[in-house]
Amino acid sequence: MIPARTRRMAPTLGLLLAAWGASALVQMSVDREMARYRESPEILWISSGKVLRTLSLGHQSLLADVYWTRTVQYYGSRLRDHKTDFSLLGPLLDITVTLDPQLTVAYYFGSIFLSEKPPRGAGDPKHAIALLQHGIVANPDEWRLWHHLGFLYYWELRDYVRAAAAYQAGAKNPKARDWMKVMAAAITEKGGNLQTSLFLWSRIYDSSEDPTIRKNAAGHIDGIKAQIDMEAIEKRAQQFQVENGRWPASIAEMVSHGLLPGVPVDAAGFPYRLKPDGTAALHPASTVTLDYDHSPAPPRAPAP
Amino acid sequence: MIAAQTLAIARNTFREAVRDRVLYNLVAFAVILIASALLFGEISIGVEKTILINIGLSSISVFGLLIAIFLGIGLVHKEIDKRSLYSLLSKPIHRWQFVVGKFLGLNLTLLVNTLFMSMGLWGALYYLTRSFQPEDVYIWTAIYFILLELFLVTAVCLFFSCFSTPILSAIFTFLIYVVGSAASDVRDFGTLTKNPLLESLTTAIYYLLPNFSDFSVAGVVSHGLPVGSHLILLNTAYAVCYASMLVIAAVWIFSKRDLK
Repeated sequence: MIPARTRRMAPTLGLLLAAWGASALVQMSVDREMARYRESPEILWISSGKVLRTLSLGHQSLLADVYWTRTVQYYGSRLRDHKTDFSLLGPLLDITVTLDPQLTVAYYFGSIFLSEKPPRGAGDPKHAIALLQHGIVANPDEWRLWHHLGFLYYWELRDYVRAAAAYQAGAKNPKARDWMKVMAAAITEKGGNLQTSLFLWSRIYDSSEDPTIRKNAAGHIDGIKAQIDMEAIEKRAQQFQVENGRWPASIAEMVSHGLLPGVPVDAAGFPYRLKPDGTAALHPASTVTLDYDHSPAPPRAPAP
Repeated sequence: MIAAQTLAIARNTFREAVRDRVLYNLVAFAVILIASALLFGEISIGVEKTILINIGLSSISVFGLLIAIFLGIGLVHKEIDKRSLYSLLSKPIHRWQFVVGKFLGLNLTLLVNTLFMSMGLWGALYYLTRSFQPEDVYIWTAIYFILLELFLVTAVCLFFSCFSTPILSAIFTFLIYVVGSAASDVRDFGTLTKNPLLESLTTAIYYLLPNFSDFSVAGVVSHGLPVGSHLILLNTAYAVCYASMLVIAAVWIFSKRDLK
């Protein structure tokens, strides 16, 4: 038995629900219609950090946090949408560090993703270097900024003289790790090589708590390790060629001749492949990428 | 005797302010905003604690400013409006005691409110980190600087409320706060023009305006960095000197005012 009061209210409730349902349906149509209007180009209305600092009325550090969050969201959304234009990344980072020069995470993030080539970053290592130099002046105790600066010179610009100088300068900081000196010496002596690159990317991976930076570093580490593996496979293939007068047909054949303990796999778990000319390659389905070939490959004996 | 009377006025000002419901709403809103900082940190990278401290300190500062202005503008006007001032001044109390008592009472209110909002910040910080770090103690320096800033705002508000209506006092105080927050930019502007006359004028304005940007150290303490004791002393001295100047001016204006 439904109470009389509830019965009286039922039509009103029904009308309310119907109106709400209708408004939701209309809103969906409006959203579809508005979609093309909302796709406006991303713009920085105020591009000067100094002006924003003045407008913040003393709350510049809070505004820096807002801009930092916007930077992270901007980078993440561009990456998600597979867009290769990161033109706002530099200005957003500049504003962030002008508002809060002590926000070191912005320098680390910026140095990596401003310099990385598209589609991973803006491909602007010079801007990244300027950002780091600004960070070093504002945070003289942060020896890791020197590490990132040296790394940029080493990895992106292949300027080994400046890279070694940056590691040398950073090593003078009392808080700096001992390997900073070792790096300065290693780069001076050898320039770029895979082992040095692997070591430096590993330090970036270990020293960062930022998941985006770590994921990016892990990708580079996997790529360099694969390159080291492939060089080792090619050396064994060369040995096989010297001993047998022909290139091995496959890696399995090298294993059967005792030149390798087993079929090696890359970081993604896929076995390497051997080409007819004795060069190693990644499995076509492998997710490891090899776009980091900065070290000269060892000289290879001509095929017979 | 004189000190006891002045303190009694301060106590009454505090009691009256505490009865105001707007005050509770503002404090509650500030605490909610501080707690919501925990969510803001989630959408950024590596700076959850920094964001929490910055939002917390900015909330304390902004809501403290609102409380100072809302309560400050009515300090004198409300007493005249309710005619309670006449019965008060008919007693052996000097006008300056009334002004100073009101000023101290409002500052006491702000101190208590700031402590409540600070508890909200510390609670949220503990919720986020589950432990306090030694460098967290520097947050107190920033809170102390916010109190000094509010001390100055109260003095500005009191000064205007001695000769103006509550709405105009609120507008004047807010404008002084805005210009005072950008005081160094005003001086820099004069320097950039390389015009000696304009340079002197902007420098004079710079020293005439209360420099609120001096009290902004949230960016330093949110990164766990200390604020030098010398700056703490200097900022304290500046706030005391400048507020004294305004309170003296307010007393002078109020003494000359015809209350009939």
